[in-house]
Amino acid sequence: MRGRNPGPDLSVQEQLPFESELIARLGWLIRLRWLAVAGMVLVIGLIALWFPQPLAFGPLWGVTLVIGLYNTGFALYLRSLRQDRSGQDRLRHATRFACTQIVLDLVSLAVLVYFSGGVENPMILFFVFHVIIASILLPRGVSYLMAGLASLLIAAVVGSQSTGLSPHYHLPLLEQELNLEAIHILVIVMTMAVTLFLVAYLTTSIMTRLRERDRELWESNLTCQIRSGELEELNRELVRVDQERTRFMVLVTHELRAPINTIYSALDLAVSGYAPPEKTRQMLERAQSRADDLLVLIGDLLNLTRVREQEAGTETAELVQLEELLQDAVDFVQVEVEERGISLSVEIEPHLSPVNALPDQMKLVWTNLISNAIKYNRPGGRIEILLEQDERRVTGAVYDTGIGIDSDDLPHVFDEFYRAANAREISPHGTGVGLAIVRRIIENWGGEIEAASDPGIGTRFTFSLPRADAERIPA
Amino acid sequence: MTTKGEILIIDDDPDFCEIAKAALEKASFSVRCACNGPQGLAMMRQQKPNLVFLDVIMVMPDEGVYVSEEIARDPALRDVPVVIASSVVNSPYAGYFPTDTPLHVHKFLDKPIPMQKLVEVANELAWQKPRS
Repeated sequence: MRGRNPGPDLSVQEQLPFESELIARLGWLIRLRWLAVAGMVLVIGLIALWFPQPLAFGPLWGVTLVIGLYNTGFALYLRSLRQDRSGQDRLRHATRFACTQIVLDLVSLAVLVYFSGGVENPMILFFVFHVIIASILLPRGVSYLMAGLASLLIAAVVGSQSTGLSPHYHLPLLEQELNLEAIHILVIVMTMAVTLFLVAYLTTSIMTRLRERDRELWESNLTCQIRSGELEELNRELVRVDQERTRFMVLVTHELRAPINTIYSALDLAVSGYAPPEKTRQMLERAQSRADDLLVLIGDLLNLTRVREQEAGTETAELVQLEELLQDAVDFVQVEVEERGISLSVEIEPHLSPVNALPDQMKLVWTNLISNAIKYNRPGGRIEILLEQDERRVTGAVYDTGIGIDSDDLPHVFDEFYRAANAREISPHGTGVGLAIVRRIIENWGGEIEAASDPGIGTRFTFSLPRADAERIPA
Repeated sequence: MTTKGEILIIDDDPDFCEIAKAALEKASFSVRCACNGPQGLAMMRQQKPNLVFLDVIMVMPDEGVYVSEEIARDPALRDVPVVIASSVVNSPYAGYFPTDTPLHVHKFLDKPIPMQKLVEVANELAWQKPRS
């Protein structure tokens, strides 16, 4: 029985959307930094060219150089991160890598602002961009830490310069120094801090929602892939079953056609007047006999169809004593056995365990096996039936001293409609279905059946079924 | 008793052999039956018939095809008309019957065959080839 599906297998080595997004954004961040370095070179160069008023160009070029250097290192590290690591390890390293980049960027920005006017420089707003980037790439807690770091750096730059603790590098375009009161400085720093935390909060909230949806989509996609695989497998199984059913139908129609051909021809001969008068009655009897064969075949086909449809466990099993059904089957064939002068012996181990099966089906097993042993036996031959058990199984065997089965035919004796050549000679109108029914019944109840034969000497069919009490017996 | 000719039926179905034999004998043919291909070829070589009714599916699924090829190969037998009498077209062994090579077959009758048709075919083919 198919079990309940436990949902998508998240252990599958698929890259989660968050991980792939983080790796992609790291590359994007490095490219953005190259643009920033180019912009810094351009702006600092233009200012140095056009404004003679001295600015701290040395530290500014220095910061630009440092940013360029660490960005080169980042680009190399990112390449190794993409190639050498996988799964959770890569995600952990990517997160640390993003933190390192943003911390260094914040510090670099602070140094840049410090040497280019401090609170006068509108670039102080660039701290907001860095916090947004941190909130996009990093978990919520780390984003708040970055907002806190940015606030501290702003406070340090603005506070130290405005309070005279460190020198103030005045912007060249401003004609006079900004002389801010402490309260103004505090308000600016507090406003920036609140802005940064608010930005971190809003951005991480949006990102959390987006990531949840991404993950749901990813899981849903993975589930679809798994379901699609299951459906393909199911489809292949259906095609196989359909082919098997078609083959069975073709075989059935062929087997039904043979006796109908005979009935048609025999009746045609009798009716058309092509038969001599003394043969007319004989032909009608032949038609009747083949109609009887047809009924037997239809009965066998019905039995076979029922057994084919039944999967083990779909029918409610009963506790069946095989020896009782064996006795019924022996009684059923007794007259035929005596007519053919066959000696039949039965040996049954006492106190046999029952098996789980259906009584009618097990009776059919015995009847088919014993009927075959009679049909293909020699007049005056012998049939030996044995029923015994070991700790786990009940085993039945039917041995006959009949024509035997050729080694080429032996592997096919349980195939539907298969009839060995020597069997056709003895019984031209057999159905070839009896042993197929026997095998399906035995296998449906968890048993096994095999045939062994010495051509011209005899055949032995042996089947075994699990004892109904086998679960209670330790192996 | 004089007959219109001798017919050999090669078929593993004893019912068909017996019924066809009765109808053909009533139509004044002399009829023998063989239950498989090798036996049929041996009987042809022993006594050459005027006509052969040949089944396809016997012990082997294409046994009749093999027999018709053997008849065509044997200079002493190849002038014997061969009529396929089979239900191979509607059987699971239809694929064994070659459709891309010409066979040494004069007619094809699909079973069940009305006795009138069987006798008509025998009358048409059996007398044309007097035994040599």
